Parts: sequence; C-alpha cells; structure tokens
Amino acid sequence: MRAVNFGIDLGTTNSLIAKYDNNKVQVYKNPIGQKETLASVVAYRSERILVGDKAREYLAKDAMNVFGGFKRKMGTDEKYYVVNLDENVTPAELSTLILRELKKFVPPTENVEAAVITIPASFDSMQSNATLKAGLDAGFKEVFLLLEPIAASLAFFNASSTVEKPNGYWLVYDLGGGTFDVALIKSTDEGLKIADHEGNNFLGGVDFDFAIIDKIIIPEIIRQTGIENFEEEFRVKYGKYEMLYYQVMYYAEEAKKELSQAPATVIEFGAILNNTNYDFHITITRENIDKIFTPIVNETIKLLHKVVANNGLTVSDINQIILVGGSTFLPQVREQLTVQTGIPLNYSVDPTTSIAAGAAFYAGNKYFEPDAPAVTSIEEKIVDDLLATVDFSPADVQVDVNYTNSSRDKEEVLLITSNGELDNKYYRISRSDGGFDTGFITLKSKKTEFLPLIPGINNLFVLSVYDGDSNEITSLKKEIAIQQGMYNIDGQPLPHDICFEVDDVENKTTKLEVIFARNSLLPQKRTLYREISKTVKKGSQDTIVINILEGDKNSRPSSNLTIGCIQIEGKDLQSDLIKGSDIEIQIQLTDSRVLRTVVFLVMTQQEFKNVFSVSEKQVNIERLKEQFIQLENELIATVRQFQFNANTVWEIQAIALLEELQSVKFNLLKLKEKDKSDEKYVIAERVTRISQEYDKLGGNERIAALIEEYLYAKDTLLQVINMADFEKEELMKMYHKIEQAETAFIHSKNVSAIDNKLRQLSDLHWKALSNNIGFLITRFIEYKGYNTDGFKDYTAAKPIIKMADSALEKEAYPEFRRHVFSISSLVKTSRANNYTDFKGTGIG
Amino acid sequence: MTVQSLTIINQLFEMQHKINELGHGAGFERNFNRLFSVFETDGFILQNPTGESYTDARTDCEASIVGTSSPKMKIIKTLKPVIYKKENGTVQLVQKAVVLVEKN
Repeated sequence: MRAVNFGIDLGTTNSLIAKYDNNKVQVYKNPIGQKETLASVVAYRSERILVGDKAREYLAKDAMNVFGGFKRKMGTDEKYYVVNLDENVTPAELSTLILRELKKFVPPTENVEAAVITIPASFDSMQSNATLKAGLDAGFKEVFLLLEPIAASLAFFNASSTVEKPNGYWLVYDLGGGTFDVALIKSTDEGLKIADHEGNNFLGGVDFDFAIIDKIIIPEIIRQTGIENFEEEFRVKYGKYEMLYYQVMYYAEEAKKELSQAPATVIEFGAILNNTNYDFHITITRENIDKIFTPIVNETIKLLHKVVANNGLTVSDINQIILVGGSTFLPQVREQLTVQTGIPLNYSVDPTTSIAAGAAFYAGNKYFEPDAPAVTSIEEKIVDDLLATVDFSPADVQVDVNYTNSSRDKEEVLLITSNGELDNKYYRISRSDGGFDTGFITLKSKKTEFLPLIPGINNLFVLSVYDGDSNEITSLKKEIAIQQGMYNIDGQPLPHDICFEVDDVENKTTKLEVIFARNSLLPQKRTLYREISKTVKKGSQDTIVINILEGDKNSRPSSNLTIGCIQIEGKDLQSDLIKGSDIEIQIQLTDSRVLRTVVFLVMTQQEFKNVFSVSEKQVNIERLKEQFIQLENELIATVRQFQFNANTVWEIQAIALLEELQSVKFNLLKLKEKDKSDEKYVIAERVTRISQEYDKLGGNERIAALIEEYLYAKDTLLQVINMADFEKEELMKMYHKIEQAETAFIHSKNVSAIDNKLRQLSDLHWKALSNNIGFLITRFIEYKGYNTDGFKDYTAAKPIIKMADSALEKEAYPEFRRHVFSISSLVKTSRANNYTDFKGTGIG
Repeated sequence: MTVQSLTIINQLFEMQHKINELGHGAGFERNFNRLFSVFETDGFILQNPTGESYTDARTDCEASIVGTSSPKMKIIKTLKPVIYKKENGTVQLVQKAVVLVEKN
C-alpha cells in the first residue's frame, strides 16, 4: 500500500494541485508562468488544444471552441459541440484535460498515480461519479473524492496545532472568482461533517470589478463626455468601445487590489471618444467602494444567515468563519462579515490554496495499491524514478528537429519531421522561462513552428511528444537551444575581453570591468553608467581618463593593451564636475574593429565623441605612472613572499623582472603629458610585457599554490565567521558572494585574479574578527598598553578608553564594540601607504 | 525585493508611456534608459511587446482580444510590460504583459 499524497482542487474558475509530505503541504506551480492556479478553461484552437490561462483569453471571443465553467455541468447530459473538431465533448472530458494539465505541474521525477479530488458540497451522485471518471481518464489509477468545505476545514484544522479548536459548528465561507458557497461544518471527536450548505453559482470576485465599472467609471465617463448612450454602447459585444472596455476591466481590478491596502487610488487612462481625445483621472476612495461592494457582500451574508437559521442555530453557536477563495482578501468582505455576524473570522490558511492543501492533508492518510509489487522504501523510490524516466511506449515514432542555433532575429523557425505511427500523437513546445507554450498540437509528418526569442540570451526550448492519453513518450523529447543576438553566419569573434579601467578607491588602485566578453561576435554596442570618483574643477589640470583595454578581464590593467583612451580635462568642462555625478559611456566596436565612444557627462550636459582605430596605440602618462608604481609594489611584495617561502628560483625571476621595470623608472617619471616622443609607447609596452610575464611567473605551480592558499584562507575565514558575535548573517552573505565567483576566477588560472580574491578574503577575515568579542577585548587591552605616542590624538582617545572600560564591565558589548572601533581609528597605523596621492581614472 | 522592483518598473513604464503620449518622449529618453539599466544590472529583462505579432502560444502575455479573434493578430496596446529575471544563469518569466490585441 502506498499513501495517495496528492490533492487536487478542481475548481469552477481555477484549479490547483498539492502534495502532502512529512506533515507539510506543497502547492505546485505551473512550470509555464510559475502560477499556482490553472484556469479551468479548455480551448480547441484550429490545430492545438490549450488548457489554462491562455485558453481563458479566447473564452469570450471563440465561444464555439473554448469552454469554461463546465464544472457546473458535470454529471449532466449536456455536451459541448466543438466547431474546430466537429464533434461533441462532455464536461467530464474537459475536466480530464484540466486534471492532465495539473499533473504536469508535478516534476517528472514524482509519479502521480492516485489523487484526492475535491467536489462542491452540492454535487449529487451523478456529478460525483463524473468527477471520478474524469480522474480515472486522466490517468490516475485510483481517485478519492472529498467535499470542498471539508477540505478547507482540514487545511485549517491541520495548519495551526497550537490554536484550540473546540468541537461544535464552523462556517466555511468560500467566495471565489465566479462562485460563492457557504457550508456549515460540525466538528466532533469522531471528525468533521457537513451539516448544511448554500451557494450561488454566479456570484464572485468579478462582480466587484463590474461594480466599480458600473457605479464609478461609467458615470464619470458620461459626466466628462456627455455621451448619452455611452453605457449602452459600452456593453455591446464587438462594439466601438470594446478596446476601452478591456482597459477599464484591467484598471478596475487593479483599483480593487490597491484599495485593499490604501485608502484611495487613481485610475488614469486616455481614450478617443466621438473623435475627441479625453484624459480621465478618476479618484476612487475606500469609502466609495464600501458603498458599492456592500450589496454584493450582503447577498453572501444572507445565504450565510439562511444556512445557520435552517439548522436551528444562531450566529453565537458558530465558533469561527473559515475564509476560502481569493475574494475573501477584500477588506469589505471581512468588515461586513464581522459587523453583520459578529462571528470571529479565521484566515490563517491562504484562502486561495486552502482547498488543495486540505485535499493533500486528506491524501496523506489515504492509501492505494500501486501496480508495482510492494518493495522497500528505497527501492520504491528507484522504481518511481524509473517509471518517470523509462519510456514504455512503442518506439514506432521517430521525430527530428531542424533549426539554427544562433540568431539575430526575434524568432526562429523550427522544422519538425516525424515518421512512423503518428495517429493520436501530439507534441508540445515550451520555453524554459515560461514565456512560450504551444499547447498540444497534432503530430504530422512535417510541421513548422516559429519560436520567439528573448534578446541576448540562450533560449532553451523543450519539445515533448505525447500519446492519446497525454502520457509523454520520453525517448522522443528534444531540447532546443537558440542563442539570440548572434549572427547565424560566422561573424568575427573577439579574441580577447574588451574592458575598461575603473577606480578601486578603497585599495587605491584600478581594476577592470568587462564591456564585451571574449568570443562575442562583432559588431557590439553597449552603454555603461558609472559615477565620477573625483571632483574635477572647471579649467583645472585634473583629468578624467576612460581607458579601454583589450586582454584578460581577470588580469591587472597594466597587463592589457590600451585600445582607446579618452581624456577629459578641467579646461574642457563648462562647469565643475562634482564627485558622485553620473557619466554615461556608450561603446561600440564595429565589424572592422573600429572603436567608437560617446561619453556624456550628466552634470555638465556635455557629450564627447571619439573614434579610435585599434591599430593606434593610446597612452595616458599619468595613468601609466600609477600603473607602473602599482606593478612595482606588487613585485616587491612578491619578492618578499618568495624569500619568506625560500623559493629561490621564483625569487630570482621576480627580481629580474623588478630590475627590468625599474630601469625605465627615471625616464617615465620625467615624462610630461604633452611629450611628443615615442618614449611613452616604449615604456608602456615594457610595463605591459613585464606585467604579463609577472602573471606567468611560476606557471601552474604558482597558481596551484595560490589556489591552495585561497582554499585554506576560506576555511579559516568560515571558522572565524562562525565565531562572530555580531553581524554574522551579513558576514556570511559576503563570504558566499566571494564563494559564488570562485569557479570563474579559479578557472581563469590568472595569478592576479586569485591574488585579488585572496585580498578580499583577508579583508573579510579582519572584518569578521572585529565582530568577535574575544578579539575586541584583546585589541582593547593592547590599545590600553600604548603610550601617548601610539595615538594620533591621545586626548581624544583617553575618555573613549574609559567609556569602553565601563561598557566592558557592564558587559554592554555592542557599546564596547563601538568604543573599540573609535579608539582604533585614533591609533597610529604602521601600514605604509604608497598611494596617498592616488589619482586613478576618475571613474568609480 | 522582486515585488518592489516590479512595482517600480511598472510605474516607470507607465510614466514613459504617458510622457511619450504627451510628445515629450525624446527629452526623457536618456533618463529612462538610465533608470531601466539599473534594473537590467540586477538581472531584469524588460520587453514592451506593442506592435509584435500575437499567437495563443505567447504565455508571456495576458491578452484581451479586441474585435474578433484571428490566426493573425498583433499587440496594439501594452498596459504592463513583460519582465524576465536572469538569475544563476537561467532566465525566468516574473511578470506577464497585460496587452490588448486585435486582428492584423
């Protein structure tokens, strides 16, 4: 025996599927569009069958082929004639399609063999049996039925075990999109029972939207336009105001939602009526809609009182009203229920999913005999997995697809060719993001489909083939990937990354940001938005430098080739350029590798256009000097590190590079920006070459050592974060951020990139330590031991030390931490800073 | 965070639409591009499907059909744009467009 576990709310307007697992219920989402609800509508389009929200769009327009609300007709002899099929379908057959679609919400690794399906309290035996048949036809081996109010009650009774639920009477008030039901539930020690129920099949959420249109929007349009027969014309099917009708429907629903949270809202729309352009601004207050909603709510309350009175009860006999259905979110519904009945309301369980959740709770305790022989739980799982993946259908069909895997167009054509036994077979294509789904289409020997593409990404589609019972023939599944934004002929790919240099002000250095990644096909165009990182006075010598480089995005800027350099000097400015103001940089690289840039300074409203030929070298002397110093310092630090590790071979190589670099230092420092000689190009080339050789120094062995160092530092950091007494969550977030980028920079095998990450780990390590009380106390004791020379301002530090002492004594650690931070800022630091006059690029 | 971002994107979209209707679109184009680029940096992909063809396979739109339905239809008005979110290398539809469509 196996637990059923799956519960289905087969609703008049919407349907849902949920699963019980280990005392919890999971409501599944539609893989197409990620919604929990599926519209209970089926559309027989010319060649395809659509089920759900998409089908609902055609409900009003193609009534001969699109069907909704068929639940009300279950078990009757009513049949719907489908023009496109030239045959009749029954409500049970339509329900079967809904149930099959719901099964697709469940991941393929889970096998949905049996289910509990809910039915309204008003359903007779014929209607119940029709639902049962629909379930069996949908492929369930066993189906159990459960009354909707009982399902809602089960969800409520099982949800909050801490709240007392005395025996007695409860009301389930179910106000959905288009229907209303109220059920009187009696709870006893033996269980739950429906004592009575009432309902209205044509009363629901949509009536509130119509009330806003009828009572507020239409009168306002008439008042402003004076069109006499507007109301009459507005409602005419295919009439002249039809476009406005749909707009207004949307705005009315939005206003209803907004007024659930705000005291007032404004509906704004424009329309051309009788050749005159009108702009409507209609303010709607909560007070307005209270008045117009009350009659609708009163209808439901009348039925509620009726069901209570018919059973010889009064409202005081009812424990609580359990709210079910999306429309019970409306404040007017809740207010009127409270005012007019005085019964406490309960909405602890999500009203939109409670019936499905209750069905799943019930399913957790219902058992069925699966077809497969009884096996142990682990083997059972394996069998389930196999059932989901093994294809039992005869391999008498072959399907092939042809398409181009890269495109610059908005859509691409897919050719599907099929052979073999194609009768009663369907295919369906969906895009992985949920924005495209063909529905079921009859399989033919040759078919074409146009696949819409999202720009700039790899669009993934899945083509699935189904038999007549909607069972997927998994061996025929095809995955289709089309990269949009690339030419379908061989374009010129970029051999290296194209980056631009931005300031890393914190570390007083610069870093690279990728503009176009390696292997992108030309042409490419992109606009970057950044901030100015230093103030440049009008007329001053200060400069903003936009350096565009070609090379490896993970390396230091000096290892790359500068292909474009734009300098904007103080004298070029119409007014001062303040730090923090915006700069827009539009960069375009043509097929023939011509670089065009348009720089726009938002503050001064100035635009600078440049065109560079990549064959020309671009050098900014100030920037070159800073790059030189940065590289020199790194080399000095590395030589020391090699010395410390007694790595003589690498040490000798590093010293040789350092000496070669320093041999041009004198010439570089005396260079002026206006220098016309080739000297700057000679030096720039040497700096680039040494920087690249420095990256290669030690080869894979050095990279392996750095990766090992990185992994060790990461482990240590994690331990330190776990011991942090403050901001642990924040620290963990920063840790994960570094970790997330790990694969990329480790695979880059770039010394500079790994080194950079090591520095980030080290910074975070210190940050984590400064959030540890033990460490802070040690630091504080150390500071207390300093004499006056140890501080920048001892007079300022003295009272803070006293306050820190007092906080420590009181164990007021957050306060103590603040004081230690203040003291540390007053301590003289021995850390040498070689970049006190760091100028950078001026772009942050 | 996503819900707040969607609200802001929708408001910006509406503002841009209104400004365009008033004939001042060109003067604000740069500002809107800048604002939308903030969301693009966060992984949002925004699409205004107005003018595109419409089929019943477009699950990225919630459509109201003006006039009679036809195999060839186009989107004539967009009340809310399509929004996708790119996260961890995959793209997911986070908001369907609300559109009006009619026979092409």
